Amino acid sequence: MQNLRLILFMVVCFIFINATPQGGKINFTEFKLENGLHVILHQDNSTPIVSINVMYHVGSKNEQPDRTGFAHFFEHLMFEGSANIKRGEFDKYTQNAGGNNNAFTSFDKTSYFEQLPSNQLELGLWLESERMLHLRIDSLGVETQRKVVKEERKQSYENQPYGSINQELFSNSYSVHPYRWVPIGESQYIDQATLSEFMEFHSQFYVPNNAVLVIAGDIQPNQTKLLVEKYFANIPKGKNEIYRPKVVEPKQTIEKRKKVYDNIQLPAVIFSYHMPAQGTADYYGLSLLQSLLSSGKSSRFYKALVDQQQIAMQTGVFPVALEDPGLFVAYAFANLGKNAEELEIAMNDEIEKVKTGEISDMEFQKLQNQFEAEFYTKNATMEGIALSLADYHTFFGNAGVINSEIEKYMAVKKTDLTRVANLYLVPENRLVLYYLPKNLQTLGGN
Amino acid sequence: MKRFIYSIIIVLIANLSLLAQVDRTKAPKAGPAPEIKIGKFNSFTLPNGLKVFVVENHRLPMVTYSITLVNTPVLEKENAGYSQIAGEMLGTGTKKRTKDQINEEIDFIGGSFQASASNVYASSLKKHTAKLLDLVSDIVINPVFKQEELEKIKTQTLSSIAANKNDPEAIASDVIGVLNFGIDHPYGEIPTEASVKKISLEKCNEYYQTFFRPNVAYMSIVGDITLAEAKPLIEKYFGKWERKTVPALSYEKPTAPVSRKVAIVNRDESVQSVINIGYAVDVTLSNPDYIKTRVANTILGGGTYRLFDNLREKHGYTYGAYSSIRSMPLVGSFTASTNVRNEVTDSSIYEILSEMDRMRNELVPDDELMRVKNYMTGNFALSLENPQTIASFAINTERYKLSKDFYKNYLKNLSLVSSADVQAVSKKYILPQNCNILVVGKADEVAKKLARFSPDIKYYTEEGVVYDPSAKGKPVPEGITVKIVLDNYIKAIGGTEKIAQIKDMKQKGSLSVQGMNIAVEMTQKFPDKALTVIQMGTNHINKSVFNSNKATSSGMQGSRDVSGIEFDMLKLLALIFPENKLEQYGFKATLSGIEQVDGKDAYSVVVSTPSNGTYTDYFDVASGLKIKTIALLESPAGKVKQETIYIEYFEKDGIKYPNKIKQITGPQSFDITIDSIEVNTNPLDELFKL
Repeated sequence: MQNLRLILFMVVCFIFINATPQGGKINFTEFKLENGLHVILHQDNSTPIVSINVMYHVGSKNEQPDRTGFAHFFEHLMFEGSANIKRGEFDKYTQNAGGNNNAFTSFDKTSYFEQLPSNQLELGLWLESERMLHLRIDSLGVETQRKVVKEERKQSYENQPYGSINQELFSNSYSVHPYRWVPIGESQYIDQATLSEFMEFHSQFYVPNNAVLVIAGDIQPNQTKLLVEKYFANIPKGKNEIYRPKVVEPKQTIEKRKKVYDNIQLPAVIFSYHMPAQGTADYYGLSLLQSLLSSGKSSRFYKALVDQQQIAMQTGVFPVALEDPGLFVAYAFANLGKNAEELEIAMNDEIEKVKTGEISDMEFQKLQNQFEAEFYTKNATMEGIALSLADYHTFFGNAGVINSEIEKYMAVKKTDLTRVANLYLVPENRLVLYYLPKNLQTLGGN
Repeated sequence: MKRFIYSIIIVLIANLSLLAQVDRTKAPKAGPAPEIKIGKFNSFTLPNGLKVFVVENHRLPMVTYSITLVNTPVLEKENAGYSQIAGEMLGTGTKKRTKDQINEEIDFIGGSFQASASNVYASSLKKHTAKLLDLVSDIVINPVFKQEELEKIKTQTLSSIAANKNDPEAIASDVIGVLNFGIDHPYGEIPTEASVKKISLEKCNEYYQTFFRPNVAYMSIVGDITLAEAKPLIEKYFGKWERKTVPALSYEKPTAPVSRKVAIVNRDESVQSVINIGYAVDVTLSNPDYIKTRVANTILGGGTYRLFDNLREKHGYTYGAYSSIRSMPLVGSFTASTNVRNEVTDSSIYEILSEMDRMRNELVPDDELMRVKNYMTGNFALSLENPQTIASFAINTERYKLSKDFYKNYLKNLSLVSSADVQAVSKKYILPQNCNILVVGKADEVAKKLARFSPDIKYYTEEGVVYDPSAKGKPVPEGITVKIVLDNYIKAIGGTEKIAQIKDMKQKGSLSVQGMNIAVEMTQKFPDKALTVIQMGTNHINKSVFNSNKATSSGMQGSRDVSGIEFDMLKLLALIFPENKLEQYGFKATLSGIEQVDGKDAYSVVVSTPSNGTYTDYFDVASGLKIKTIALLESPAGKVKQETIYIEYFEKDGIKYPNKIKQITGPQSFDITIDSIEVNTNPLDELFKL
């Protein structure tokens, strides 16, 4: 019973709902180096630790269709070493200093982070500046990481029930936009990428003018600024133009449907609706709508599908907020013996009720209260604050949104919920994905 | 203005410092070590025995309450899963509130609440804290368990169990527990479909009444609250919680196996093997070796260390490889785990065992030991960012009767651990010869090469039950019921709707016996008429008629009334596609297992007939189609086995019919080909005259 777990496909979705109602304001200072590196400092001396985050504005959407998975593969190579760090030593430095490091790649960004005791700040800056200035990768490292990434793909996707959900969602929802492939990409391209392509990728995207450095925790801002300049100021600015796809996904006009047969026993139904990019007014409306449908046991989806009708084991809604228009995803996993059709009917019913029915003042107030509480829990750690600041700077052009975004949520009116539901949650704007047990495949056909 | 000048100076200094050469070739030295302070806590005990720990932290306006029961877990046996379900029942109703009220009230304040077998957790903004306590105390002290809610939780649990059967890591985690602790220990029990179905409301009530008592509970309160604020609130809301003596339970302590064992859970669809190497090990927090074992484990695989370096960075076998030594209240466990592609399964196990050996046989080099100790020291400091850490330190100290200075001295004691200490505890606790090696993966591709690790290789089901893979039957996967098998069959041949439209059917076929051509004609009319005619040329060899409650068979030896299983088989014929209406007509089907039929896995469904005969249908697991029927028929010479094998199906108007059939009755074998099928021709009732 320790393992009542289900793969949830939120891995690629980084949703930040950082906002300050009153008090709890996140203070920070920021400056830009001449080479274009943007730096944000947040001081909090309550615990002697420091979090460093370097976010590069490059993700899987900057890849070419014949090199999907490249940005993520490259993230692995960023741990291979530099002119002054030998292969395999990167992690050892952080460990030796009593810290942790890691990284992730999503559609729009690649983020590297260290968590260190605060007296090791300089080490962290040296490490990050080394790989920004002169990353070194050799063929042994590349060959090893090819294998590692393929195993990552198997472990996280291929060998997992429902492991292909993300890929199915995005490849079927988008027809031309590069969101049509997911960050893990396709295995064959991992084999095809060459060393010179990696170096080219680094010189185009891993440049100070395409990055933001955030330092949060037990620091003295003035001293920290000097250290940042010491290690980062002489990193040359990128010379190449940075490739940013300008592809606009054409409006979907007809409902798409697909059945996927997987090694599973419980059918699942996933709706994905196209929605506007993060930061737009309707994005905030849809975020509150998400709460209405699926936050807590009194939410509409939980109450109807899990509790009353007992057709779903689990259900949820989440907006995949992205730089370009993303997806508003609603899903349900069936209870044993229940089928996909029943789930779809019940999900449709609940969505229909939002469009045509009433939302009481009490229920609306609940949503606002939930967003208020969420704000504080999201800002509980230095690591979380650093990542949020990097995110707001990169995608909103303004780290201050960390404090002001709550106003956007609070500005959403009850009528907006009905309006966005009617505008976006319509069949012609969605993909309906059925996940069905493989042993039904021979039965039903496709 | 002053401020402005100041910042200009900073910029100047910065520029000056840039002129100085930055030495990039060496890693910068650390600054002076910051003082690591473990935050303070306060505690008090209510008259009913509830021990409360308060950790003040005013960074965020939130307060979190957590109740931990420290009763010994129950051995649940045939009701495995009931403690957890009893915990989940909390929050489904109280003497004052309905479930909907509870859910709405918690969500309205933006709070969160979770309950399990031995934990309750709740949190909210400080301004709602009294409301939250009112709710949580009501839930914990005055619950009302209802059958309806139990059924809902059981349904959810059964679905989760079914879902986990497809998740190789979940399977590994269940089965390694069985291997390490045995099924007679609470840590080795796995809730199954059968055990969860048995759980009653009485069992849940009994668990709650026995164990949810303040005298075995610790409560931690963490966040934006002072002792002075917390104490009256807790007295008010939890003072009424009644104490009661909780029975002391004890179990024989599981130990590591005397020799290495290999266990395989076969999963044909696996593209990776999930490897777990584990055993029970007696390391609790109060064990004097505790800190040393943590160092040893970290070097081996408690982070990106030896296992990771070897299996991932050196060999590229995996995305990650780790080990852990868990200290649980009754007994601990060692686990090394990784997920690797099928073809390197044995090589990976070999590397893990070698690294375990190396821990025992070689002294850890000083620089490696220092790095690990630095890492652990740093991580201890990092963990203090979360105020919950201080609460758990306080509770652990009390619960495991640790020295009051255990955590205060933790870093000092860590710094004293030597290479010799690490080797000594490795010899004691890292046991490559006394472990269970569990592989969840594709046995076809990986099993053969595992013999090198142990002569003791056994196959286990996902539920941790040993079975013999060469034996005829294989257990049915959790969640598959006879109804699912039969429904799938109906779907496979065309679906309920299509089949319901068939009111009658006429099939013509032929078979050849010793060069002679024999014609077979079957006419079926739903629900109670059937006729089979077997003839050679114009001679009837046999004619069987079923009409309502009577049947006759006539042949060259004359005519007789048909009874027993033969009668039942004719009745099935009249029902046309009877599989989804067996019960209704007095047949009872049970799913007995999975057997191999001509190289295919097939569900075997045993049907007992109204006249107490039995026959067995075999349904292909992959296609759902019926591929064989075995019936024991009565004959003057005693029982005769009749096998009917459906070799091929063809489709007509959206329905699949078997058109190549082999029938083996005793020593005789016939190949029957169906040449034509007509449906809904409405044959006259007179045709079926007895």
